[in-house]
Amino acid sequence: MIDLVVEGLDLAPQACLLDTGATDVRMGYHVADLAGIDLEGALVSDIVVGGLRTTGYGATIQLELRQGRDSHTWSPTVYFCDPWPWGFGLLGLSGLDPFLLTVNAYEEWIDLKPH
Amino acid sequence: MAETTRDVTIAHRPFTLRVSQIERAMRGVLPEPVKDHFVVVNGRRYPPKQVLLQVTGLERAELTTHHARRILTGLGFPAGRRAREREALAGTGTARRRALPSEQGASTSRTGSRRRAFRSRASAATLEPFVGHWVATKGDEVLVAALQPHAVVGWLAQHNQQADSMFRVPDDEHEASGAAPL
Repeated sequence: MIDLVVEGLDLAPQACLLDTGATDVRMGYHVADLAGIDLEGALVSDIVVGGLRTTGYGATIQLELRQGRDSHTWSPTVYFCDPWPWGFGLLGLSGLDPFLLTVNAYEEWIDLKPH
Repeated sequence: MAETTRDVTIAHRPFTLRVSQIERAMRGVLPEPVKDHFVVVNGRRYPPKQVLLQVTGLERAELTTHHARRILTGLGFPAGRRAREREALAGTGTARRRALPSEQGASTSRTGSRRRAFRSRASAATLEPFVGHWVATKGDEVLVAALQPHAVVGWLAQHNQQADSMFRVPDDEHEASGAAPL
């Protein structure tokens, strides 16, 4: 899991499952509500996630990854989906374009380095 | 079995407190931030004063945390103190780990692998009472849990708290793994 500050909602970073099998970043529609993101005119697409058909509303927003005093901010397209039965977002690979990602499953760590 | 009842005097006023009465009164009440001491009611951690204020209707200044804690532990509610925030290092725990850009150039451990700092996370045992709830966590503690995500964020804003992570505690393994519900 990776916790991301969505569009400045820094009191509640949203847990996202790193999904190397997905291309896009997807979150529940409620996250857009919480962060006050206007989805009028958003890119609308029907998508299937984990066997569930849902509608994604895409918007280019700011995501921030923090640890201690360090942080990195970037602006991918995030799809806010309705329905969204999961309690976390999915961080697909296009959301990680600015990073070099290393996964060490055996030692249970991942490493994200900005390019 | 007879229910535990306790006659107490708080702020010069007599009260008869029952375990079931306290559990009922706290049902659905979001806990305030736990600064130090807590008691466990209905599987959730509350500041002792919050529980007694809720049950008795007294004013906050009319009792102390220690007095509230003594009364509640006397009724059989488990109590404890919040652990200090701790930084864990890889190899010392089983929590899910993560490494971030700040760790570039981290030191090398005896095994030759890079040592990586990571924030501790709430354990499965800590999250178990909150299955199906949205939670905000900080370190290995649950700050707040509610059935709606808006209630969690509202609580954080109201109490000027900043969480490390917000998510819904999965109902089952399928949900935790990202599979859609059947």
